[in-house]
Amino acid sequence: MKRGFLFGVAILFLGGLTLATAFADRVAPYDPNLENRAQALHPPTPLHFWDEKGEFHKRPFVYATQMGYEANMLRTYSQVLKKKCFLRRGRHAPLGVQAPGKLYILGTDSRGRDIFSRILYGARTSLSIGILGAFVSVAFGFLVGALAGYFGGWIDHLLMRVAEFFIMMPALYLLLALRGALPPTLDSFQVYLLIVLILSAIGWGGVARVIRGMVLSLRERDFVLAARVLGRRTPEILFRHILPHTYGYLAVIVSISIPGYIFGESFLSVLGLGIQEPAISWGNLLTESLSYSVVRFHPWVLFPGLFIFLTAFCLNIIGDALKASQSPEDKLKENV
Amino acid sequence: MCAPIASFAAQSDFFDGTLVLPIATEPKTFNVLVAQETSSTEVAQYLFEGLTEFNPKTGAVLPDLAASWHHSPDGLVWTFRLRKGVRWSDGSPFTAQDVAFTFEQVIFNPAIPNGARDIFTIQGKPVTLNVLDDDTVEFHLPAPFAPFLFSLTQPIIPKHILEKAVHDGTFSSAWGLGEDPARIVGTGPFRLAKVLPGERVELVRNPYYWRMGHDRRPLPRLDRIILMIIPSQENQLLRFLDGETDLFVMRGSDYPVLKPLEKERNFKIHRTGASLGSSFVALNQQAKEPWKKKWFQNRDFRRALSHGLDRASMADIVFNRFAVKQCSPLSPSVPFFYNDETPCYDHDPGTAKMILTEVVGFQDKDKDGILEDEEGHPLEIVLMTNTEDPARLQLAQMIREDWRRIGIRVHLQPLEFNALVSKLTVTHDWDAVVMGLTGSVDPHFGANVWLSSGNLHFWNPGGGNATYIETKVDDLFGKAAVTLDRNKRKEYYDEWQRIEGEELPLIPTVLPEVLYAVRDRFAPLTPTALGGPFYPIEEVETKRS
Amino acid sequence: MSPRHSFFNRCLMAIPLLLLLPLLTFWLMHLMPGNYFDQLRLNPQISRATVEQYEKLYHLNEPVLIQYVYWLKQLARLDFGYSFAYKQPVLDILVSRLGNTVLLTGFSFAWAWILAVFLGLLAARYPRSIFNRLLDGIAYAALSMPNFFLCLILLHLAAAWGGLPLGGMRSVDYEALSASGKVLDILSHLAIPSFVLGIGIFSFLFRLMRAQAQEVYERDFVLYLRAWRIPGYKILFKHVARNAINPLITLLGMQLPALVSGAALVEIFTGWPGLGQVMLQAVRAQDLFLVMGNMVMVSALLVLGNFLSDILLVIVDPRIRSGKGGAS
Repeated sequence: MKRGFLFGVAILFLGGLTLATAFADRVAPYDPNLENRAQALHPPTPLHFWDEKGEFHKRPFVYATQMGYEANMLRTYSQVLKKKCFLRRGRHAPLGVQAPGKLYILGTDSRGRDIFSRILYGARTSLSIGILGAFVSVAFGFLVGALAGYFGGWIDHLLMRVAEFFIMMPALYLLLALRGALPPTLDSFQVYLLIVLILSAIGWGGVARVIRGMVLSLRERDFVLAARVLGRRTPEILFRHILPHTYGYLAVIVSISIPGYIFGESFLSVLGLGIQEPAISWGNLLTESLSYSVVRFHPWVLFPGLFIFLTAFCLNIIGDALKASQSPEDKLKENV
Repeated sequence: MCAPIASFAAQSDFFDGTLVLPIATEPKTFNVLVAQETSSTEVAQYLFEGLTEFNPKTGAVLPDLAASWHHSPDGLVWTFRLRKGVRWSDGSPFTAQDVAFTFEQVIFNPAIPNGARDIFTIQGKPVTLNVLDDDTVEFHLPAPFAPFLFSLTQPIIPKHILEKAVHDGTFSSAWGLGEDPARIVGTGPFRLAKVLPGERVELVRNPYYWRMGHDRRPLPRLDRIILMIIPSQENQLLRFLDGETDLFVMRGSDYPVLKPLEKERNFKIHRTGASLGSSFVALNQQAKEPWKKKWFQNRDFRRALSHGLDRASMADIVFNRFAVKQCSPLSPSVPFFYNDETPCYDHDPGTAKMILTEVVGFQDKDKDGILEDEEGHPLEIVLMTNTEDPARLQLAQMIREDWRRIGIRVHLQPLEFNALVSKLTVTHDWDAVVMGLTGSVDPHFGANVWLSSGNLHFWNPGGGNATYIETKVDDLFGKAAVTLDRNKRKEYYDEWQRIEGEELPLIPTVLPEVLYAVRDRFAPLTPTALGGPFYPIEEVETKRS
Repeated sequence: MSPRHSFFNRCLMAIPLLLLLPLLTFWLMHLMPGNYFDQLRLNPQISRATVEQYEKLYHLNEPVLIQYVYWLKQLARLDFGYSFAYKQPVLDILVSRLGNTVLLTGFSFAWAWILAVFLGLLAARYPRSIFNRLLDGIAYAALSMPNFFLCLILLHLAAAWGGLPLGGMRSVDYEALSASGKVLDILSHLAIPSFVLGIGIFSFLFRLMRAQAQEVYERDFVLYLRAWRIPGYKILFKHVARNAINPLITLLGMQLPALVSGAALVEIFTGWPGLGQVMLQAVRAQDLFLVMGNMVMVSALLVLGNFLSDILLVIVDPRIRSGKGGAS
């Protein structure tokens, strides 16, 4: 089944990424902040099995490189064919190469930092912002929606007006103004938390509305009536009987909103308002790829964008699969 | 990526005689006297003229609206004979009344905030003026003022159009973007034809322009100048490649993209030298924390920090080697006054560390790679910069790394420009900042920055804490302002540059080169860093191919 | 609740919204340290006294609430105040740019919507076709990228392959073109930015429409229609569409303000002369009244958008008219 296959691939990719990220210290070949200025904008180093004479080597190797400038002040790196550097156990990563070779799997950026390592460390920030942001907004929206839906009346009215207010806020300006209003003396962790909070504030309203709608209709069902007749008290009815029907939807919405938060963070970083150096996030890795001149000759700076794309793609697939697997009774149309 | 196979920009004779220039932000007003940002003054240079003009090729001040002048021996009275036959772009004659109007009713009008007033206020007293007849104006200066001729490049505005606005009190909002272009009147080679907000500004030839070419043909030779508003520099590059615009102000990193396409896309790259202005790291000598204040006030500390900066790398990585090391507060492009013997503290981390540990007395007792002072405070500095400039941000990041290698921990704090300025000049709540200042061809116009009482002397503000060295600088500036002998002035300014090179209140970094990519069909071109690629604009024309 | 009742309710709800959003914005703008005129301080030719003159003129050093009251008083006279940066009345600036942004986002929305509805219906009808899978793939891909990144890539590609303008709204020789030439010119300038803006909307709406239509298709009345030999295309495009389109119309109203505020980064990258880039600059430069004026306009559009979608809903879905059925 095509669907099932894609789902498997998505899980595999995300799982692999999460593991690699969690163990970035062991997996990343280089320190992400190590500036090798003499090797700025170095292309990804190709791995060879056959050398220039046509001989086969069991142990793969890379060539050491030398920097030169082409006629137009363009940095180029040429392989020094005499110098082979074989693969060996890295100092802390499983793989490395003999000196003076370098294993730049995805090349380096304009300050000579290994892009692959930076992507791994950046994933920690970006993925966690995505997950945390999605969770916070969904959790909050869930709570508000459940209360509004179950109790109805003025509580419902009030809560829904507040939710609508947040839904209709023009996100961009509030994002900018809020971010600009923050005292600039915050450390990167505090900035990180605040970004999560700001992004979630924009997202929870929609969730609240939907949950409230679901709870409203669930409230009228027979099993609830039965529970009441049997004397069960409100909290139990709510948590044991009604709300479990919403969990399916929640799972879908969480996986679908994570990419949105990752994009939000990269948007802020492109404007210079997101995660700042030396902290690493996929967003601020993207800022390198904004320059046509750089991309034209050094297209490997686009790799962080590729990772964002793949991650979002897989999350969308998972979200879709979850949606398809909901029971038909609980299946909710995508009414916002 | 493959070479472009088609370009969108139309090739028609519409473009004969038309120059298309990109600008990053649209002009906010055409009222050149209250304009505060460069986008507005950039347009003004085509529309207005002053009594004098500055020749960026020779560095000399030449007659413009004033045909000739002479001054009294004490330098206090300057008499200008205005050019005859000059007309405004609506045909009205230009007279001394317009000059008087510009100065008396606008510049020195207390109800109109403007920047020109401070230029013409010498030692606290304003310059006054006398109209002798329709063609002659006499200026009375309270004290001799060396840059006086240069400051008279100040644009003159028409009395017959704007007098009413001054009387009504609406001058500050006059000549805004919504104004009828026919009412925006100047003596310059072009006049305003059309404004499309957010898109472009169109200028056409001023039919009444007074200058004649050498061959008696009327000037300007171009029919039209179109200023396209393109906020993103990347987009400017793409559109230049596409043929839509005729100029691109390049960054060093654009060179490898543009150079190979010179023949194919019909343009040429011009390297014109270092940009005007300065780029530096400043330390707050009145820092809030007393121990930081002590560090920053220590000259050896600053010297060590200068030794720590790898300027070659900065030039290499941020500007693709199209940058020069800066040693003096003046740019090497400043004609005549630049002192190329200003001392420099070059990249030498060994010496830097040695100075920090042995001369200043820091130690790394806890072996964490960061030095501490005698009281145990770790060497941590908060370095601010503004977010809008990606090159400056990269410089700041590299500085952070450079100083880490000599034992200093730097926290980067990128801020919006307004917030940055507020901290520097209002709350004085900062440690270090990576910044640049625009410069002028006359060093006197940096007085606000270098005088101890100057309101831009932000690293040691107030004037009350002037060090001995600073009083020397004050003295030099004071003398240089009133001496009309150019060579004497050079002596003073050379001494000033030498002092600042040794004292390092502002630790200079690197200055980018100015690179222009200009479409081939325009001639004659003598691009300079000071005057841009099209000076003098009135003589530029499209070549008949 | 009868529709008139809920209509009235909406009106009531609109008022606190119109007041609250601007207040929130005002407060946030003042949280940012400094003010617009601080950037003047760095200009060596402008003295401190001059800067302070400006600040006094606009009451910028007084407490926030007092400033807000000043602003409200101005607003009551329908005076949106002055933009510091542009030295023009805020209303003039908003009006001159609004058209451009509406053109861009309106065009993007229009094609995205129409295509989404049309293709969504078709995809629901032929779920196993290649064309459905292809569209699905495109929709996925479009939703998996931040839109400014897509914009960048398209611009780089267009620069390499040529043929499309790389920014701006009109060519330099626009006035010299014929009427059809003018239309073509603007359309070609719209190509890249509206594609970027529209593709995200399209993807989302396409999948929504398809899901809705699929659900409606299963219903009994469709079977009856078929039995009565109503032609397939009529079933699809008239009956199923009207039933399925409900949530999309609700969304339409809510997306009206996004029409105005959403395109900022795309406008900047492509140099489209709209409100987005003006607003971005204004917020960062603390051009207070311009931002506030924009906020008021956006809030008004929000309310307007909701009304519009309510009205449209009533037109499209007769059940709501009679007060029966429909989700609230």
